[in-house]
Amino acid sequence: MENVKQNKTPAVIGIKKDNNNQANQGQSDRSERGDSNKVWQFFCSVKLAVVIILVMVVACIIGTVILQEKTLDEYTARYGYGLATFFKVTQLNNVFHSYWFSFLLLLMCANLICCTIKRWRNTILQTGFVLTHISIVLILTGGVVKLQLGIKGGVNVYEGKSVDYFLTQIINRQGKIDYIKKSLPFTIVLDDFILEKNEPKFQLVSYVKSKDRQKVLEAVIGKRQKVPGSDYKIKVLDYIPDAELKQEPINTSDTPENPAAFVKLFGSEKITAEGWLLAYGHNSYDDRKQNIRIEYNWYPSQQEFDNAVNSIGTTQAKLSIAVSGKSFDFPLELNKTFKIEGTDYSVRFLQYVLNYGDRRPLEEQLPDNPAAQIEINGAEGPETRWVFEKFPDWEKMHPSKYKDLKFTCDGIANSYMAKNTVKVLQSSEGKKTIVYIKDRRIVEAYPWELEKKYTIGDTGHQVMVANYFPSFDFKKEVVKKSDQIGTPAVFVEMEGPNGKVSDWIFSNTQYATWYSDNNLALVYESTGESVKHFISNLRILDNGKTVAEKSIKVNDPLEYNGYVIYQSSYDPEAGNYSGLQIVKDPGIPIVYTGFGILCFGVVFIFYIKPFLKKKQKKEVKVAEG
Amino acid sequence: MSLINITLIVYIVASIAYIIREIWGSSGAKWASLGLLILAFCLNLTMVAERSIKAGHPPFSNLYESLVFYACCTAFIYIIFEFVYNFRIVGALASILSMLILFYATLQDDTIRPIMPALKSNWMLIHVVTYMLGYAAFGIAFVTSIIFLVVKPFAKKGNESEDGREILPRNFDRLSYKIVAFGFPFLTLGMITGAVWAKKAWGDYWSWDPKETWSLITWLAYLVYLHTPLVLPKMNINKSKASVMLSIWLLVAFGIVNFTFMGLSYLPSAEDSAHVYGSK
Ligand code: HEM
Repeated sequence: MENVKQNKTPAVIGIKKDNNNQANQGQSDRSERGDSNKVWQFFCSVKLAVVIILVMVVACIIGTVILQEKTLDEYTARYGYGLATFFKVTQLNNVFHSYWFSFLLLLMCANLICCTIKRWRNTILQTGFVLTHISIVLILTGGVVKLQLGIKGGVNVYEGKSVDYFLTQIINRQGKIDYIKKSLPFTIVLDDFILEKNEPKFQLVSYVKSKDRQKVLEAVIGKRQKVPGSDYKIKVLDYIPDAELKQEPINTSDTPENPAAFVKLFGSEKITAEGWLLAYGHNSYDDRKQNIRIEYNWYPSQQEFDNAVNSIGTTQAKLSIAVSGKSFDFPLELNKTFKIEGTDYSVRFLQYVLNYGDRRPLEEQLPDNPAAQIEINGAEGPETRWVFEKFPDWEKMHPSKYKDLKFTCDGIANSYMAKNTVKVLQSSEGKKTIVYIKDRRIVEAYPWELEKKYTIGDTGHQVMVANYFPSFDFKKEVVKKSDQIGTPAVFVEMEGPNGKVSDWIFSNTQYATWYSDNNLALVYESTGESVKHFISNLRILDNGKTVAEKSIKVNDPLEYNGYVIYQSSYDPEAGNYSGLQIVKDPGIPIVYTGFGILCFGVVFIFYIKPFLKKKQKKEVKVAEG
Repeated sequence: MSLINITLIVYIVASIAYIIREIWGSSGAKWASLGLLILAFCLNLTMVAERSIKAGHPPFSNLYESLVFYACCTAFIYIIFEFVYNFRIVGALASILSMLILFYATLQDDTIRPIMPALKSNWMLIHVVTYMLGYAAFGIAFVTSIIFLVVKPFAKKGNESEDGREILPRNFDRLSYKIVAFGFPFLTLGMITGAVWAKKAWGDYWSWDPKETWSLITWLAYLVYLHTPLVLPKMNINKSKASVMLSIWLLVAFGIVNFTFMGLSYLPSAEDSAHVYGSK
């Protein structure tokens, strides 16, 4: 009866009480003193096993929740100084290589070995139990061998070059990353590096903003389909494998809704630049090299027109400082120091740029992100800061010394004026004037007519207004450039609450095409990963002789003399070096033996053993019957 | 209607059939419910096959593909077990579980993307298939544990049979154990083939990457489940209490499975990982 009940508990396929007693007796025979018996019992117990496993679970969780093996600075930045020190002392910053984790693994091995010895019985049914337990000890032993004798590092090799060393990474005593150069007992030659790309593929992707859902649509011509998870409908009307958008300027009416002038700039009788300038859009052209700017302005009233003719029309750049509720304005004059009244602060202007981060000279920068650099002097010493015209809250997001000071600046882009500025002005009443400004001073002003050349001071350049459209617009046309896949585009009809709209969607823009309710967007994009394979043709030289040769790729390394050389990365920009990983691990045979035994062991315990048991039961029944 | 929606509906219908079968117990309902679930499974399998043909690679390269396959495996494991044991009501929940997994897949990005070079390996194929079968078994064990915990208070005493074929509510804990025992070797194989694959692709069989660490946590969680029945009797915990504790543990363990599968991107360490879905 006892046995039957035991079999029913969901135990690891049944332990019988009598077996247990036998084992205990056998053991007490072996050890004389009760004390060592107790120690032995402790190391044999499943209780210990369960505790160890649970502690390991907790350790593993900690090891993934706290970032591992980072530099001390990173911990301090992330968790603060106190916690960072705590992690370092308790080795929670490197759980899996800590002393206490090693101790845990050691305890586990002891537990496994002891319980296996204790329960050792020469029966077939025990096979799985013994094998699984031993295999885990083997795997851990292999791991220790790896830690003691193994090496792992990497090296980048350029095509046609060779290396006889590699670098390993360690965290040094100061908690910083260090690289150590290790020499190889042979030379690796990279004869060839091949980067294979995938054939480009494109797909139409929908995004529904209110649902925050992205879905791939079928790009089949003529099929009307629902955008999944919404009421929008899509129909692809046309497809061009290599499309180009051609825009032809047209005039839509004679009322000046969008005045535009086609302006040509000549240098020594040759056209150096020409194009449309839109009064209400892109209204200027800058020739940074010659320091010439051409502007086109259109005025609806005579008064505004007259004002424009008589002024140079720029603003003075200024800097505003807000401190303790008060605000101060200063003109932007380089290298001048200003004291802020009522405070201990003084401010000096160091430089200004039209496009922050643009390394070209000021004359060549477009006014995309104007910024001024200033130096603040106060009780805690000097501090330099950038102040951005378009991002007045920049400093809120960035740490600074003098937090109570808030800076904004204005007019940098407009204050910058080319040495030579030509303003093409026009009014609704048909007045036309060209104003030539040099060094911020009006040199001359004269009327202009279409198709006539006018000399720009002594610059050696001429300007001409070749055409004028009161109501400028583009006629868009999509044309096929070739039959090969180049820049594919699809013509898609979108149907939603605002009716049907159709538009060409090009695969080469990074912008989505939005439906008029700003809730549905479509993109036509190339699909992900473009690299198919990267292959290094390697040769190993030992004492000047070629001893091994192989084309390695990810998943297919080269082995020589205990070292394994893996393809791990490549030069993402130029694609001309190959990133190799170099590993030596003498523990591998032990670990893999462990893996094999473990696989067989678990299969035995959970599949073979129950089968054998059933058979035995039947035999017993037959014998009894 | 798309194949995925049809499959979802058939799963739901199968689930309803299982409930009807549980209540009225007619033999017609038995075959109808099993038949419907097999139909849903076949549809699901078709989705997997269609996807792998379309994509030109084994269909586990992203979360969407893995989930579709996971749903398929869950139905598969349940069907196998239904032929061995009399599961009845478990089928209703197993079917719902497959349906939920598949539904969760519909919320994912289903873009077909070329796979990265490291995923081009036969080890990867064995690795994912064994893992998914293991996970699916644990999903069924999760269902039996829920049923056990729900019906336990209502169960009458002295109603069990000897041969283990006719499983009555009281014995759902044994059923849980049997399925875990069935799934654990798959989990072990999955972990080992994963290690061998990692060695081939990244040069190290184990590097304490979050994905690796969490798969170890999962494995250890089920290892605890398999070892505790040896401890509890020694700790004066009676059988019925032990069964409840173990069933609750299975719920937790299945939570860990799903976190390992899908939740790792929430970890701060995920950004360094090579294996977390959607990190790149
Ligand atoms: C794949 C992994 C493992 C499997 C399949 C496994 C399986 C088993 C089985 C089947 C038994 C019962 C033996 C019997 O009834 O004759 C057992 C007992 C035991 N296992 Fe494991 N085990 C595994 C891992 C571990 C680990 C990692 C530990 C230690 C931390 C451990 C510690 C123990 C202990 C101490 C016992 C003895 C129970 C007793 O003496 O009553 N096992 N294991």
